[in-house]
Amino acid sequence: MAAGVAAWLPFARAAAIGWMPVASTPMPIPPQDKRKAQDGLIILNVSGTKFQTWRTTLERYPDTLLGSTERDFFFHEETSEYFFDRDPDIFRHILNFYRTGKLHYPRQECISAYDEELAFFGIIPEIIGDCCYEEYKDRRRENAERLQDDEEMDMNNDVTPVNLTFREYLWRAFENPHTSTLALVFYYVTGFFIAISVMANVVETVPCGTLPNRSKEMSCGDRYALAFFCLDTACVMIFTVEYLLRLIAAPSRCKFMKSVMSVIDVVAIMPYYIGLVMTDNDQVSGAFVTLRVFRVFRIFKFSRHSAGLRILGYTLKSCASELGFLLFSLTMAIIIFATVMFYAEKGSTATKFTSIPAAFWYTIVTMTTLGYGDMVPKTIVGKVFGSICSLSGVLVIALPVPVIVSNFSRIYHQSQRAEKRRAQRKTRLARIRAAKIRGTNAYMRYKQNGLLIDALEEVAGQALVGKAASPPFESQHHHLLHCLEKTTNHEFVDEQTFQANCMEISVVNKSGSRTSSLSSSPHGLSSCCSRRHRKKSSFSLPSTNNQELSTIQIRERPVSNSRSSLNAKLDKTMPLKCDEAYISPSMVRLSAPVATSSDDTSTATTTYSQSNIVRVSAL
Amino acid sequence: LSMVRHQPEGLDQLQAQTQFTRKELQSLYRGFKNECPSGLVDEETFKTIYSQFFPQGDATTYAHFLFNAFDMDRNGSIRFEDFVLGLSVLLRGSVTEKLRWAFNLYDINKDGYITKEEMLAIMTSIYDMMGRYTLPSVRDDSPFEHVEKFFQKMDRNRDGVVTIDEFIETCQRDENIMASMQLFENVI
Repeated sequence: MAAGVAAWLPFARAAAIGWMPVASTPMPIPPQDKRKAQDGLIILNVSGTKFQTWRTTLERYPDTLLGSTERDFFFHEETSEYFFDRDPDIFRHILNFYRTGKLHYPRQECISAYDEELAFFGIIPEIIGDCCYEEYKDRRRENAERLQDDEEMDMNNDVTPVNLTFREYLWRAFENPHTSTLALVFYYVTGFFIAISVMANVVETVPCGTLPNRSKEMSCGDRYALAFFCLDTACVMIFTVEYLLRLIAAPSRCKFMKSVMSVIDVVAIMPYYIGLVMTDNDQVSGAFVTLRVFRVFRIFKFSRHSAGLRILGYTLKSCASELGFLLFSLTMAIIIFATVMFYAEKGSTATKFTSIPAAFWYTIVTMTTLGYGDMVPKTIVGKVFGSICSLSGVLVIALPVPVIVSNFSRIYHQSQRAEKRRAQRKTRLARIRAAKIRGTNAYMRYKQNGLLIDALEEVAGQALVGKAASPPFESQHHHLLHCLEKTTNHEFVDEQTFQANCMEISVVNKSGSRTSSLSSSPHGLSSCCSRRHRKKSSFSLPSTNNQELSTIQIRERPVSNSRSSLNAKLDKTMPLKCDEAYISPSMVRLSAPVATSSDDTSTATTTYSQSNIVRVSAL
Repeated sequence: LSMVRHQPEGLDQLQAQTQFTRKELQSLYRGFKNECPSGLVDEETFKTIYSQFFPQGDATTYAHFLFNAFDMDRNGSIRFEDFVLGLSVLLRGSVTEKLRWAFNLYDINKDGYITKEEMLAIMTSIYDMMGRYTLPSVRDDSPFEHVEKFFQKMDRNRDGVVTIDEFIETCQRDENIMASMQLFENVI
């Protein structure tokens, strides 16, 4: 509160002597300042950049890191300074906050980096000064939107279309045409037919030359009535089928029927059916003709095909208030000027300004600078007001337009950014995956090196340390993973090995003629294997890692006859030529999946721990 | 924001004129300069700063009187020398000097006499700082009654004004007042 003017507190207290002679009651005892530490300098070393400030400056805000005893944790004895391993550029702003009481947000800094620093030093961002608060909030909002988009995309695209019902599958095909070729074909076909239908409506009205027995020129629609009718029927059939399919597939039918696109669909095909019903009734043929106008709404169906159209529609919706203002001010101006023009032109003879509503037309045409010239003022007063009208028209219309344009631009750029992120997602995921595989391989090598050394020490008593030592962090990490393995009595393997083993076990499971130590839980296995099937990945041979291991382990192939018996019972043709290295009896190898397939890991490990398969060499 | 800038006299001179040590003067000047980079405090800034310490009420009137008490040469702005001299009296001066300073504060027109009107103005401004939410609530005549009590105590010869001698004498006889004068010794 008064921390900004903390330097003046001694003054305020001293001036309180002025109250003493008039005080009604005795004064309270002043607080004892136990920490009467002299105002000393504190050195703050932030990643090498030294900042210095008075101790009292920092202690103005005692609930932050620097202002409280929490900073003692960062005190570096040898240099008797406080060392922080943080970003010095952002720290500058944080220190300025202590000095001036105002927190500023630098525009060039990343918002998440800044937020992290604030959180570290215990400063709440709400106290950012007014000068920088808008910018900060905007950046924060953008960041949050980006994160939300990412999450949504994750949720959308990670769900592999496996166990979806036919209905869900259909809906998904409609909404995202690029998911399957059939959906794509459907998408383009409907687009084509929309175009055909609209063009037919247009060409229908073009004059097509005269028939020999008629003097009047006929439109193409009348001349080739049957052809156009067939075309129209075909298009409407396609649209109807599409609409019905969408209706069936929609997860929430009521919501679907209320949506804009569905309304457009209905309006596009209704005239045809109504026309079918009432063709022979002359009385309502006028109404029928009107209905045909609604066929033009088919062109709006294109908005499913074009993102730009959707953005335009969305822009208009979001600028509703600006548009409303435009409309309102235009109406006001029209009424005012029409009235004025009417009364100005009332006197002149044979004037076209017969009434105020008639003058509306003149006003609108003038204000939008069209100037058809069908209604023109003749009196001088009329001309004067007419010119004022046209000048003001330019102004009134030009004002809200930039707002609408900027809205459109903002939304359009947002959608472009979303597209770009989607495109970058694939490379990003590939990178993450590659990193995981690297980690797994490194761990395998570590284990292999360890075992190699153990085995060879027994054999030759010499250490085979040919490789460069891995950095201490890595070796400690690998040791940790190894300890976990020993704890749970399972092993980490990579994805390929896991799948291969899974296949093995499914084979084994089917045969059922294994040793009694096979206490597998079938359904867990089948789930894991079926999951693998669902992934549609090919059955790969075990990776080279295992084969390297096989050099030191006893490698035994299963006895051929049992293998052949398995073959006989198999109904799936699986490549069984995996050169599996079977484990020596002393070391039980249990396959547990590594965290490469993140979505399957947890369930797979549990199934495996339940299954507790012990594969021993075939005997 | 005026373009006028003022630099104070040297540290040695100020040290000679006041009772502060060098370090104290340095600390005081740093705080002063932080709030008033131009080296001068005008009345508006002074009121703003002082009001921050009393957020519940309205401290502007009292700040006005206080400003006049510090601004000894009446030029509308307080320089660092005025500031420091005033503080020197308040924190390091003798009791008589402090009492003299208080008298100077109450004597609005600086004519050497405190009238009832002046005292009432001072008292109202002090009660204004309390604000509306007090217990018991400040009645409209609370300042007036307070002034009456003050005059009864201070005005010896019942002539309606309080002179400097009456004031000092009465205060020196009152133990409470004498004790409270020593209260803020250790502020700096």
